[in-house]
Amino acid sequence: MASRLYQWIDQRLKLKPLEQTLLDEPIPGGASWNYVFGSATLFLFVLQALTGMFLMVYYVPATDHAYDTVQYIQHEVWGGWFIRGMHHWGASAVMVAIGLHMLQVFFDGAYKRPRELMWIVGVILLAIMLAFGFTGYLLPWDQNAYWATQVGINMVGNVPLIGDFLVKALRGGETLGALTISRFFAIHVAFLPVLIAVGIMLHLFILRRVGPAGPHDETRAKAGSETFYPRQVFLDAVVMLGVFGVVALLAISMEFPLADRADPSDHSFVPVPEWYFLFFYQLLKYAPGAWGPLATWLLPMLFFTGLLLLPFVDRNPDRNPSSRPIVLGTGLGFLILVSLRDLYAVPKRDPSVVRGMALVEHFNCKTCHRIHGEGVNVGPDLSFVADRRPDREWHLQHFKDPQSVSPGSFMPKFPLNEKQLNDLTNYILTLKSG
Amino acid sequence: MEDGLSTPVGTRRSFFVKSTVFISSLIGISLAVPLIGYVIAPALQRRNKEWVSLGKTEALPIGEPKAMDYTMTEKDGWQESHTTKGVWAVKQSNGEVTVFSPICPHLGCGYRWDQQDRLFKCPCHGSVYDINGTVKAGPAPRPLDTLPSKIENGDLLVQYEEYKSGLAKKVEL
Repeated sequence: MASRLYQWIDQRLKLKPLEQTLLDEPIPGGASWNYVFGSATLFLFVLQALTGMFLMVYYVPATDHAYDTVQYIQHEVWGGWFIRGMHHWGASAVMVAIGLHMLQVFFDGAYKRPRELMWIVGVILLAIMLAFGFTGYLLPWDQNAYWATQVGINMVGNVPLIGDFLVKALRGGETLGALTISRFFAIHVAFLPVLIAVGIMLHLFILRRVGPAGPHDETRAKAGSETFYPRQVFLDAVVMLGVFGVVALLAISMEFPLADRADPSDHSFVPVPEWYFLFFYQLLKYAPGAWGPLATWLLPMLFFTGLLLLPFVDRNPDRNPSSRPIVLGTGLGFLILVSLRDLYAVPKRDPSVVRGMALVEHFNCKTCHRIHGEGVNVGPDLSFVADRRPDREWHLQHFKDPQSVSPGSFMPKFPLNEKQLNDLTNYILTLKSG
Repeated sequence: MEDGLSTPVGTRRSFFVKSTVFISSLIGISLAVPLIGYVIAPALQRRNKEWVSLGKTEALPIGEPKAMDYTMTEKDGWQESHTTKGVWAVKQSNGEVTVFSPICPHLGCGYRWDQQDRLFKCPCHGSVYDINGTVKAGPAPRPLDTLPSKIENGDLLVQYEEYKSGLAKKVEL
C-alpha cells in the first residue's frame, strides 16, 4: 500500500533521482562512527525546536505571566515537566554535540581547503546556538533568569563606544523588564530559528557540493567509498537513539526546578549561568577594573575571529594529526584552559547555608534584626556581622546561650539542635562585605 | 554503482534498513505520547465544582424568589478569576430551598421575576415559568434548571452548573 502510494507520487514528482542524490552520497572510506556528531547535533536541534514549539502552547512572554505559565507547565499540565526537562537538557546536549562535532572536524583537519566555507558557516551556527541559550534563559522569569540576564546584558556594556547603546537596545530601554522579555522571546522563537534554519541548510548544501572529508589516512580514504544509506544512516540513528535516551533520562531523573519569581529588588541573589557560559562568567573574576572589557568582549571576539580564520591561518594541506603538532597543541591548550577546575569554582550556595537562611525566616529573626535592608533594627543589623565577628565558636555559643557571650542581651534562646546551630552559623558567617 | 562505491546488499542491507525504521519509530512514539498528552490534557480535565455558601436560609422569605449572588473562583489554566453569577432561590414552606440557574433553558438569555404576575419571564423569546419553574408559555422546551443545593448549619450551599440550552432534557455542559 505504502509502496504503491510512493509509486503514484513518484510517477508525478519524479522522486527517484532525488532519492538517489540524497541517499547514495559517497562516504569516502566507508561509513563510520566518526561522522555521527553532525547528525546528532541536527537531531538535537530538531528536538529543541519540537519541544520549544510545544512549550509555547502554554507559555506567555510577559513579566506578569511568564513565571506563572512556566510553573503551570512544570506542575500542572500532564507531561509538562518532561517537555520542559527535555528542552532544558536538550539545550545542554546540543552544546556538547556541537563541541564534539567541532573537535572531530578540528582533529581530522576537515576544515581545510576546500571545506573552509563549511567551517565558517559552522562557526556562525555555534554563535547562533549560544544566542539561543542566552535568550532562552530569561524566559522563565525566575530569579536566576533575571539576574543572569542582567549580568549578561551588562557585559555587553563594556564594548567601547556603542556599549551603552547596545545595552539599551538589548533591554529595549533603561531597565530589564516587559520589553526585554518580549524581544528575547521574539528573538528566541522567531528570528534565531529562521537564521539557524538558513544556516543549517547552507551548511548541508556546502557539504553536498564539496562532499564529506572522509578519513585523514590516505590509504583508508583510497580503499573506496560507501553510500550514505543505509549503513551511515543506521549508525546515525543508533546515536540519535542514544542521545534521545540520555536527554530523556536526564529530564526524568533531574527535574529542573524554577527559582523564585524574578525580584528586581533582591540584590542578594547570586545568579549562575548555564555551564556553557560558565567559563566566560568566571573569567570576569580574573579581569578586575580596567581589564573588564578585555574579558567581556575582546576575548570572545578573539575566540570567534580565531575560529573563523582557522582554515586560512592553518594552510598546511596535510590533514594527518601527527603532522600538525602546533595546531593540535594550540587546540589542546585551549581545551585545558577552559576546563581548569578553578575557573568552574562557581559560587554555588552551600546547602547548609541555604538551610541556615531558611532558619532565619523560620524563627522570624528579621522581626528584630535587619539583613540587607530587610527586617527591623531592634537588635544589631546583621548585614555584615561576619566582618565584626568572624569567630565561629562565638556564634555557636551565642546561639546556644546569648547572654553567656553577650551579657545583658535580650536575644531569646531558640530551640536549635546541633545541625540547625551549624547551619545558622554557616549562614551568619557568609554575611560579610566583599 | 560508480567505481569504488559500495553499498551493503542482501540481509545485511535489510538489517540496516529495518533497524533504522525501528529506531525512528521508537523515538517517534516516545516523543509523540508525551507531546500529544501535553496538548490535550487540559481538554480532558473536568471542571472542578465546589459547594459555595450563599448565606443563611433564615433570611429568605417563604414562597418568594430571591436573587442571590454566587461568587466562585474559576481556574482558567494558569489564571484564577473570580466570577459572580446571580441565581434564584425559592424557599418552600417546609424550609427546603430550590435554586434555579439564572439562564433560560430556551436559548440562554437571563430571565427575571415579574412580581405583579408572579411569573418568571424571559425577555428574549417570551418564555414564561411559574414559581416552581414549570413552563407556562412560550417556546421553552423544559422547566427552569435547578442547581444542586443543600442546607448545612443553616447555610445554603450551591454548586453552579451550566446546561445545554434548547433541549427537552437537562444535559450538563
